[in-house]
Amino acid sequence: MSSLGRILLGVAFVALLLSFARWSPERFWVSVVIQMLISGLFAMSLDLLVGYAGLASLGHAAFFGVGAYAFALVAKHVSPSVAVALPGAALAAAIAALVIGVFSVRASGIFFLMLTLAFAQMLHALAFGWIPVTGGSDGLSSVPRPDVGVSGVNLFLTSNFYVFVAVVFVVGALALRAVVNSRFGLALAGVRENERRMRALGYDTTRLKLVAFVVAGTFAGIAGALQASFDQFVSPGDVFVTTSVTALVMVLVGGAGTLAGPVLGAIVVVSLRTFLADQPLVGARWETLLGALFVLTVLFARHGLIGIVRGGLSWPRSP
Amino acid sequence: MGKRTHRLSRRKFLLASGAALAAACAPTGGGASPSATATPKTIKIGEILPFSGVYSDLGNSMRNAANLYKKLNPTMAGRPVQLLFEDEANDATKAKAAATKFIEQDQVDVVMGIVPTPIAYALRDVFHNAQMIYIGTNAGGDWLTRAAGSIANQPASKSPYVFRAAFSSWQISEPIGEYLASKKALKEVQLSYANYGFGQESAKDFTEGFKKLGGAIKGDDVKPALGTADFVPFVQQIKNNPTKATYHFYSGADAQKFLTTWDQLGMKAAGYVLYGAGFLTEQDVLENAAAAKAAEGAITSLHWAVTLDNPENKAFVDAYQKEYTKLPDVFAVQAWDGMRAFDEAVKKLNGDTSDKQKLIRALEDVKFNSPRGAFEFDKDTHNVIHDMYIRQVVNQGGKYVNQIIDKVGRVTDPGK
Amino acid sequence: MSVEQFVLQALNGLAIGSLLFILAAGLSLVFGMMDVANLAHGAFYMLGGYLAYTIVRGSTSACFRASIDFWIALLVVPLVMAVVGFVVAGALLRPLRGKHLEQVLLTIGVAIVLADLVRACWGGEVLSLPAPRGLDASVTVVGQPYPLYRVFLIAFGIALAIALWLVQERTKLGALIRAGVADTEMLAALGVDTERLFAFTFAAGAALAGLAGVVGTPILGLAPGIDDTVLILSLVVVVIGGMGTLSGAIVGAFIVGPANTFGALLVPEFALAFIFMVMAAVLLFRPAGLLRR
Repeated sequence: MSSLGRILLGVAFVALLLSFARWSPERFWVSVVIQMLISGLFAMSLDLLVGYAGLASLGHAAFFGVGAYAFALVAKHVSPSVAVALPGAALAAAIAALVIGVFSVRASGIFFLMLTLAFAQMLHALAFGWIPVTGGSDGLSSVPRPDVGVSGVNLFLTSNFYVFVAVVFVVGALALRAVVNSRFGLALAGVRENERRMRALGYDTTRLKLVAFVVAGTFAGIAGALQASFDQFVSPGDVFVTTSVTALVMVLVGGAGTLAGPVLGAIVVVSLRTFLADQPLVGARWETLLGALFVLTVLFARHGLIGIVRGGLSWPRSP
Repeated sequence: MGKRTHRLSRRKFLLASGAALAAACAPTGGGASPSATATPKTIKIGEILPFSGVYSDLGNSMRNAANLYKKLNPTMAGRPVQLLFEDEANDATKAKAAATKFIEQDQVDVVMGIVPTPIAYALRDVFHNAQMIYIGTNAGGDWLTRAAGSIANQPASKSPYVFRAAFSSWQISEPIGEYLASKKALKEVQLSYANYGFGQESAKDFTEGFKKLGGAIKGDDVKPALGTADFVPFVQQIKNNPTKATYHFYSGADAQKFLTTWDQLGMKAAGYVLYGAGFLTEQDVLENAAAAKAAEGAITSLHWAVTLDNPENKAFVDAYQKEYTKLPDVFAVQAWDGMRAFDEAVKKLNGDTSDKQKLIRALEDVKFNSPRGAFEFDKDTHNVIHDMYIRQVVNQGGKYVNQIIDKVGRVTDPGK
Repeated sequence: MSVEQFVLQALNGLAIGSLLFILAAGLSLVFGMMDVANLAHGAFYMLGGYLAYTIVRGSTSACFRASIDFWIALLVVPLVMAVVGFVVAGALLRPLRGKHLEQVLLTIGVAIVLADLVRACWGGEVLSLPAPRGLDASVTVVGQPYPLYRVFLIAFGIALAIALWLVQERTKLGALIRAGVADTEMLAALGVDTERLFAFTFAAGAALAGLAGVVGTPILGLAPGIDDTVLILSLVVVVIGGMGTLSGAIVGAFIVGPANTFGALLVPEFALAFIFMVMAAVLLFRPAGLLRR
């Protein structure tokens, strides 16, 4: 397809996405798609680490949670203005990612996994314990939706909030696409394939990984902020290991190393949870299905569902 | 959970557009209501309840009672009733997903349920913004029905759409504070409670009543987390405090574990006396033999007791026992009263629930005799006004029940 | 805190430590031999606990019923869990041999499936199991009644530690394990079937998790989420003590158990955060464990 054709197709897709709240046949689907977009953004940010930098994190909920709590606190106590609360959440998540990243990116493989888990659980314990600020196990309620500063546009209406989330999602996806296609993104892929060679070529690989960690954490924080304003509350569950695990499942089931894959994974997970859970018999066991799907992708489809769509299964290689 | 037929949305969409078209083409005037001959529209009631985790017993009781009410009263003002259930699992995110589904997909007429206070606080804005009537049938946090700005960092505030057929923390804990200080002449008490929103409010409200009449709280509060696995260290900590009179808030599985541990560590023999918010010794807890043994003699306050002597309660307890071969608990009463209150309001409107504001007015005017006694909503706050009973656990021919030893009439939450 | 109070709470800490040791011994063994952090270890514990519950209570599970004694559960459940572990290792981990990270990720999927199947069979209610007859009494410690079962659990943990130690140091199997932890490739070169060794190792790890599930349930009870709780605590133990060594599991468990108990009483707000900070610090600065050089 010509590049003009691709651009036109992309524009048409974005237009359809942004206007979904207008043409959705069911009001409920708008809420479901909001959740898919938020989870999709979160999963894409994790994929920057898992798929592009080759760092499997079990603690990405840390930044989702920091973003969510920061958004809630700023929106409640400083200003719900979108120009204040959203950057505030992103900044808080970026700082958390910088601090945790400085320590974590020195490790790799299983040690990286365990370190990110330890740091995320530390933040979870803080969310639980620092009651005056975080509300402890109760979390924080009455979190306002962002104020976009346009009179008459009220984000408490789901259809308006949808457009806001869709815009943030599209901008986030384009930004992440720019990151992975940049020279930095290519260097990162080089680190994943062969870190020693990249170092020999003069790259500061630790710094590359740290930058990737901070970028990933920032976008996770933005996703967390969206979640907090969608739910209008935050709770320690946002920082718990299960949130990290769900994101990892989305990335690997959908397909690591692509940006479309994690979004597909998010669509699959949210759909199973929302629509299948209601079906008699099989539905109640949607988590079993999801877990089995995850096991199968790890075993047989290293590029996830998106890989199957694009070109068949990849059987595990024998050593 | 969620046992409902799933409809094809596309088909529904087509049907809806078809209906709209038909309505547009139909001759207007003539005056006859188009629904006069058609089957009356089903009233859909969405119940968000815990079926897993620390409060699953409460959720099961409430589901039982709602189903029983529907069985005995299959229609409300001639309209058939459909009950939908979703598991909240003491997880605000799951509860929010359930609420969204009820509001947007199932388009229910009313939402009921929710056991933990933090979840009710979290969902208050969801109901308010969607203008969905919610009748709380457990969560008792004071702020759910109090005016905004009463305290700094207030976690929630009253809404025209939020009613509470259950209780507020203050209604349960403040009166027994006064009771223990005056009629039991207690001077000192130590506190322990599940460390989350409602537990903290219970302790604060009890302290308010107890101190008002000259009592004092001794030592550090013992505060295990909600859903604590092992209570031994915490009961030992209580024993480390020489104050023998103890006031507690625990409910559901926590209450069972706490009392079992109380028994195991010989607290009664060591002279420690149990007082508490009535959930500590409610029927769901007394089903456990070890817990019941520990609870014997405990004095607690609640807005109901299985032994309460009035015709509504006798009928309710009999029907429940016949259906489920066990005694009901207060949670069942609350769910029952939520159904009853809505039923009464629908009857007042002759089944026409289309106008939300009229429905709210009708609910505000609801008055009936509940198994707990006279039931009505406070028109300002939408919180229930009811009698409070001081109860003591006794062994009645092998069955442990709460016997009423005193009563505080018409307790109204002081919220505005 | 009075002296009596300190003694009693220390006993509680040791009882939890004992339980954590049994869990960590299995996790550490698998890690040492296979370089795999088994993230289904908590789910194995949970399944073991629920199996024990049904066996002892003789009560209904949606999936099966049985009625035998606690002591039989103590034997049967680890065997059942060993079979589960053997199947997981043989059918799912084996195709990914050599790819440790993929194997770790796979165990996450196994954990998700097991946790959901447990819920299908037993529901989501909080269940508790009384201590077995004979151990349900109290003993007097510093003038206070103390649950005998906890004393038993401490003794059981210590006895198991000694037994495992003897196996490791004095038997041929132990020699094989020590050699496997040190250098698996060397074993393969010597003609040992490492695939089979791995499957048996994983089975043994699962059996230990199941054993912990049996002895832990009378104290901790069962509820959804218990799998995550015990997995994370045993990961902390293994990291602090040093991955892949029995002595590490012992030391880590008897640091983390009491720290957890006293922390929850003295600084309930920040005790857990502190424990994870220590875990991160050990991973960063002494990845071989706190006590290794």
